[in-house]
Amino acid sequence: MILSLHNVVPTPLQDKVLQQGSDVWNCKVSFAAAQWTKIKAPSGTGKTTLIHSLYKLREDYSGRIEWDGKDVQQLPAEQLAQYRQEKISIVFQDLRLFPNLTSFENIELKRVLQKPYCKQEKIFHLAEELGVQHILQQRAGICSYGERQRIAIIRALIHPFSMLVMDEPFSHLDQANTVKAAAVIMRECKERNAGFIITDLDDDHHFPYDQILNL
Amino acid sequence: MNELNILLKKLIRTGTGRVRYAMAMIGLSVALLLILAAVQIQVNYKELLEGKQNKDSVANFLVINKILTDQNIGKAVLKQEEIDDIQAQPFTEAIGVLQTSRFKASIQSSSNVFPFYTDIAFESVPDVFLDVNTKEWNWDENSAYVPIIVPGMFLDIYNFQFSLSQGLPQLTREVVKMIFFNVNVYSADGTTRVFKGKVVGFSDRISSLLIPQSFMNYANTLYGKKSSSSPSRIIIRTKDPGHPDLISYLKQKQLTTDQDKTRFSKYRQIVEMAVSITGVTGLILFLFALLIFSLFIQLTISSCKEEIQLLISLGASPSQLKSFLIRQFFPSNISIVVGSLLMISMLQYGLAKFLERQSAFISALISPVTLGISILILIIIFIQYQRSIQKNIQNNGINN
Repeated sequence: MILSLHNVVPTPLQDKVLQQGSDVWNCKVSFAAAQWTKIKAPSGTGKTTLIHSLYKLREDYSGRIEWDGKDVQQLPAEQLAQYRQEKISIVFQDLRLFPNLTSFENIELKRVLQKPYCKQEKIFHLAEELGVQHILQQRAGICSYGERQRIAIIRALIHPFSMLVMDEPFSHLDQANTVKAAAVIMRECKERNAGFIITDLDDDHHFPYDQILNL
Repeated sequence: MNELNILLKKLIRTGTGRVRYAMAMIGLSVALLLILAAVQIQVNYKELLEGKQNKDSVANFLVINKILTDQNIGKAVLKQEEIDDIQAQPFTEAIGVLQTSRFKASIQSSSNVFPFYTDIAFESVPDVFLDVNTKEWNWDENSAYVPIIVPGMFLDIYNFQFSLSQGLPQLTREVVKMIFFNVNVYSADGTTRVFKGKVVGFSDRISSLLIPQSFMNYANTLYGKKSSSSPSRIIIRTKDPGHPDLISYLKQKQLTTDQDKTRFSKYRQIVEMAVSITGVTGLILFLFALLIFSLFIQLTISSCKEEIQLLISLGASPSQLKSFLIRQFFPSNISIVVGSLLMISMLQYGLAKFLERQSAFISALISPVTLGISILILIIIFIQYQRSIQKNIQNNGINN
């Protein structure tokens, strides 16, 4: 899957974006499959706006965003769902778990939303790797933010994808857990030969990036 | 798919407004019972009228003539246009003209043991309108006798009134059929031709002395007066002698027939009105039930708006959600339709048994039409659910 931006300028940040230089806004940028991209941005430059626009959660921008050469704004609902089930995965900054489902159910839901990519055991395996196996049967609503962040990462990795979009996925993890999570993400992306786009505030060495862009 | 549905059930709670939903279900049950009952009653009524077992030979044939008034005395004949018009009516299945003899005739005993004499006139009708089926019903110039069909009530009048008062023996139909007598036909010039005659059957349908058409044509040609050839009576075969259209037509054209045979018209109108009211009430209830279902779906989806939005963000397709919601709501409707059908089937069985004791026969099973209507109702409910769910999912989550 190839994601590309063609002179995209978010309407709410229009003035700011046009004044400041950016590697992403108002440029032609492509994110190819198997390409690992870091987008570095200080607060308020539109990281979440970018991720949501890339994932077609918002459409308040000028220019064009394409998935495999198709304008996302023109994608029919069923085709959009198919992309989200099979080709593109996401870790939201605000996590977006169902608070009334258990952590396990939150992940399982994503696993069975389409033809399962892996067996159920993998959930337990990944949870163990990230140190959250003890909260799997707990309602997501009562888990700590750090725990929920790891559940959200597992959820994003449990289904087939060729592009993973992550919005500050380690913001609430300590160094040790960040390293573990990054290792798991890297392994899963390699296994699928998938690319990813990750946004963060600062420089990091979690992944061997193919490109680093400033927002 | 099953695991997904279990999880979706936890997220999309269909419990909101259950009481309203239950009431809509009761409404739907009543509506279905009324609609299906109305359809089944119509089918039963039609079956009673047209079923072969119920075919009443008297009721399905009507002899029609003009109402005799002071104005039309002597000319109460039916013109060809009037006959054509009757024939063109939807209630007329077949039409036949009652041809009248234009010669004078009498019948007379051929022996002195049982003397009788009476002047008489004949009529003839096409054979298909006869309710007497006998091989003797034909005549040509070489025939030994003229076969005659007599109204059954003539013999009843003789047996139960005339013979008693005159001290004459009572006669069975079989005995009468054995008696030969003379048929005297008087020509216009005064000569008389004597034929042998015999009663070959009794009709409960046409109250007239009937002779074969071949004899009628022969005698009318040879001995008849050359007067008007317009018939004054016709016979029609109709599916339903009580049909209100038939009655109003006769009234409008100043025609008359055996009132006894058309008396069901009023009952039929009442039945039709009752059935219509039942059907319309059922239909209105059905529409209300559909409306409540739509509102219930809207309520359910609105109350789970956030969950549906997140599900769509995560990749749930509208068709997945639609099929899940249909599975939540639709099966109870199938149960209701099946339940209503069972109820109607039981009533039908009971009614068939009851009517059987009254010598009226309807099928003990519900008709395919009733079954078809219930399937149609299910399809309508299904389409309505689909549309309503689609619309509400679109309104609540499509932008994600």
